Amino acid sequence: MSHSFPKLESVDSIVESLATAGYICNEQIATVVYLAAALEKPILVEGPPGVGKTELAKSCAQVTGAPLVRLQCYEGLDESKAIYEWKYGKQLLYTQLLKTQLSEVMEGATGLRASVERLHTFDDVFFSKEFLEPRPLLQAIDAEGGVVLLVDEIDKADFEFESLLLEVLSDFQVSIPELGTLEGRSKPLVFLTSNDTRDLSDALKRRCLHLHIDFPTNELEGRIVRARVPQITEAMTDHLVSFVSKVREMDLKKLPSVSETIDWAKSLVLLHADSLDEELVKSSLNALLKYEEDLTSVIENLVDLLNTEKQAANA
Amino acid sequence: MINAEQFSQDAPTDRLLAFIAFLRGRDILISPADSLVAMEVAGLVGYDDRTLLKNGLGSALAKSKFEIEVFNEAFEQYFGASSSDKAKNENEPRDVDDATDDSPSSQELGEQLSQAMQTQPELAKNLSSELVDALRSGDEAAIAIAVETAAQQVDVSSIKLLTQRGQYIRKMLDALGEQALRDAAVELESTEPAAFEAVQALREQLRNKVRDRVDRAYMVHASGDAEDMLDEALSNMSLGNVDQHHRARLKRLLERMTRKLAARHGRVRKRVKRGQLAVSPTLRKAMATDGIPFKPQWRKSIRRKPQILILCDVSGSVAAYAKFLLLFLHSLQDILPRTRSFAFSSNLGEVTETLRALPLEIAIERVNLKYGGATDYARAFEDFASLAMADINRVTTVIILGDARNNNTDPRLDLLAEIRSKCRQLLWLNPENKRSWGSGDSEMLGVIRNCDVAAECSTLKQLERVIDDLLVQLNC
Repeated sequence: MSHSFPKLESVDSIVESLATAGYICNEQIATVVYLAAALEKPILVEGPPGVGKTELAKSCAQVTGAPLVRLQCYEGLDESKAIYEWKYGKQLLYTQLLKTQLSEVMEGATGLRASVERLHTFDDVFFSKEFLEPRPLLQAIDAEGGVVLLVDEIDKADFEFESLLLEVLSDFQVSIPELGTLEGRSKPLVFLTSNDTRDLSDALKRRCLHLHIDFPTNELEGRIVRARVPQITEAMTDHLVSFVSKVREMDLKKLPSVSETIDWAKSLVLLHADSLDEELVKSSLNALLKYEEDLTSVIENLVDLLNTEKQAANA
Repeated sequence: MINAEQFSQDAPTDRLLAFIAFLRGRDILISPADSLVAMEVAGLVGYDDRTLLKNGLGSALAKSKFEIEVFNEAFEQYFGASSSDKAKNENEPRDVDDATDDSPSSQELGEQLSQAMQTQPELAKNLSSELVDALRSGDEAAIAIAVETAAQQVDVSSIKLLTQRGQYIRKMLDALGEQALRDAAVELESTEPAAFEAVQALREQLRNKVRDRVDRAYMVHASGDAEDMLDEALSNMSLGNVDQHHRARLKRLLERMTRKLAARHGRVRKRVKRGQLAVSPTLRKAMATDGIPFKPQWRKSIRRKPQILILCDVSGSVAAYAKFLLLFLHSLQDILPRTRSFAFSSNLGEVTETLRALPLEIAIERVNLKYGGATDYARAFEDFASLAMADINRVTTVIILGDARNNNTDPRLDLLAEIRSKCRQLLWLNPENKRSWGSGDSEMLGVIRNCDVAAECSTLKQLERVIDDLLVQLNC
């Protein structure tokens, strides 16, 4: 099988090359990316916010060197914003032009029948590709050489929009009522991300490979932090990561995400901290937690959280 | 334990198909198209690396967080056992059963039997079958083939219930021709104790293999059916009678129903007929008419925002039903965002915030504690009128859940009539059987006159139907 993405040819090489792009991933993620490239199927990435769903698509684009086409979904998104739109302004101008040129076209035709016949021989460009304004989905399948298409937060879009996506995702083609079906020139590597705010339709799910990214293990998160914040010391990373994983076990309104762990690590580096103590955590914790209630409940349990951590470090 | 590997070594595709059937039995919907993808995936990643295979198949077959959990468990069950067997088989090539580990290997047993057969030509004649030869020489492959053939003969895949296991094991043993071994055992028992032991051990081995095969068939073909039967029974059982043990299953069932309902009645948007002009869609529509805008398009589309007020009787007799109604409607938050809940027995109070802030289970218990007691509809309606009557308008649906038994006091049905006159529709759900409506101190007959729909809601099925109808009405 020939793929359009030569860099995604084996699971191990994907893990490695994504790591060079700054995206540390586990074998599961790499396996799914490999399968998606090989089977030419879209990937539906689900998981809590901030675990690197969007980042995965970006990193894949970076690794393969393919351009990234991004479609951000929102309520009310429709085909004219996602797939194509007519350049109606130009079309209207064209009809104006046609009126002035009409006498030239009709020259010599006498009688209604002859005029209509003449009109039929005339090349119709009103609905033609020239007047088509491609939107992200059409751009993605129409590009020469593969691109990486990211359909972000598909769960935010309306239910009807999912149906629009189906044709693009399964056959890589777009049907335009006025023109017929436009076949894509290449098959893009497609990532759909979802925060699970609602159930997606079975039809959409069926067309995709599924990847559920959860919060990473301590070890993996440590590697991610070190890759993103190279200045941080190893001991500090271990502290930080196990602290965050304990916080995630608490009953909070919003659990800290990986990106927030990275933000916190960055702010700790800026503060020149070399170990976690109560004062430091209290003053910088708002990089990690975004709700007042969460902050207070973590600070209430801070002594416990830090203590168990020390024990773990000692052990 | 299942030994999925034994026969299908040269047919991994069959094994994968069997695994898919196994998953379907576990409530994971897998379409033929999904199976095709799974085949392609397996073709790409191969069967050698288990984690790779698991990740790959998982991405093609499991489609939600819930399904991933089920898939992982099923994968371990299905492929886990076989791989450990494989490891074992490499070390000790013949012995698969743990139970026979201490006893002599089948080859030794076979030799003992062979000796006995040499001395007794009669016995040798009786036992001259391929199966016995295979058992004597410890030829796993031959035994496996024989077991599989027998399985097909007795059509083991039509097993439906766990209690049929014994029957199928017997049938398969008969089909295998185990009778000869049994007869031999009877004969040898008195004459040659050593050979008798050997025959018994071989029979035991065979029996274990057959049992494994039947168990596997049960897990693949029937365990799902049994679950379905239980689910079906539960959704038709009166909610008050479901015992603690099945509560968790009931909750799962309810979650599935709400998911289904939410998908069926997703948010419906309506085009409005006035407002701000949307220029580009209008021009686009106008293209067919040469740029003359016959059909103006408007910026906004509206979404219907039905408001639902639920009044739940949480007195002892009805509390169990109230719990499920509340669970149901609050799980539909997505499509019914403006739901307010009230609980009453004698006095009434709003519990929307409690239900929203706490996990539902705990919240409902707390509500029961606060508002539980003897029912007084008059007082409850009065409280409700002063709390929420002003908020009732023509998009409001009021749902009241109660048995309408008011201990022979005036239930103030005039207030109910007033509520009905103000709202879009008034539903009364009664967990009692229709036949007992109006009997004794039940005010149900008066209630029916004052509401739009009165329905029975003692089972999950009935509850689902009521809410389904409600959602249809709200969306049109």
